[in-house]
Amino acid sequence: MSHDRPDQAKPVHRVRGVDHAAFPTFDPNATVRFYRDILRFPVVHSICAAGWGPERHPDFVHFFFDIGNGDRLAFFYYFGWQPAGDQTAPGDAWARLPHDTPQFFKNSRHIALNVADEEDLLEYRRRLDESEWPVEMQVMHETIESIYTHDPNGYMLEITRQLRPVTPQEDLDAQLTIAALCDVTAGEAPSMDKLLARKAELIVERAAAWEIEQPGWCDDERELI
Amino acid sequence: MPRMYVLGVPENEGFLDVAEQDARLTIDSVGPYFRISSAGPILIDRRATGCRHAVWYSAVAGLENAIITQHDKDALRVESR
Repeated sequence: MSHDRPDQAKPVHRVRGVDHAAFPTFDPNATVRFYRDILRFPVVHSICAAGWGPERHPDFVHFFFDIGNGDRLAFFYYFGWQPAGDQTAPGDAWARLPHDTPQFFKNSRHIALNVADEEDLLEYRRRLDESEWPVEMQVMHETIESIYTHDPNGYMLEITRQLRPVTPQEDLDAQLTIAALCDVTAGEAPSMDKLLARKAELIVERAAAWEIEQPGWCDDERELI
Repeated sequence: MPRMYVLGVPENEGFLDVAEQDARLTIDSVGPYFRISSAGPILIDRRATGCRHAVWYSAVAGLENAIITQHDKDALRVESR
């Protein structure tokens, strides 16, 4: 299909969310108990494959849980495959890290699922707290509130609710932050101090012009909070 | 003259209220940001802001001729670079 007419052109940004995010598991029983039985995420798809192509490849089962919105969380179980590394070290089923790796780094890689409101967040808290995988933390962040636990494979799972919608000025702020981050990490010895100095320059360059471009902007609406 | 920027979002309201009450500080706006300027150090008492942990430690959006010399559970102190 062609899109010759400008009014029918597709947008630049066309992706529609997470089709699936996939992780290995060595414990399908616990994984199914955690996601299907405790969290009550429906099993929606699976593939049983005898190897894969001409390469040396173990037989495997690839199975999927519905995480809402048509999105899916998927796992691979490889028959006969053993986890690598020191299993007492920090990490998860995919990889182990050095013993002195701090928790903040290990937990930086995680998946966060969204719920509509506090009632739903507390419902998932209740389900987890009654299981072998109780909530480890409940945290009120800047604009979200989250609960956290680790699944049976060691992957950190966050369930979160937005406290309010994200505003356009926060999108601008994110763009300026990332521009500043790219600038300072391209240079010597990046630091938060350098980022904030660079970001102030970008605020002065771009923020006033951005505001004037916003729909419905007028000068006497400067009081934003 | 140290200057710092704070984004105008509801979570930063307590922070900006404290700054506004300090006669030594001047506040104006640059787009959706508030710019806090001072002839001397900018000192914000954390408890007075009522900001929770996550908000307090992410309130600073930019620094102009300024450096953070204290940012802990008690206070934020921004001085001339």
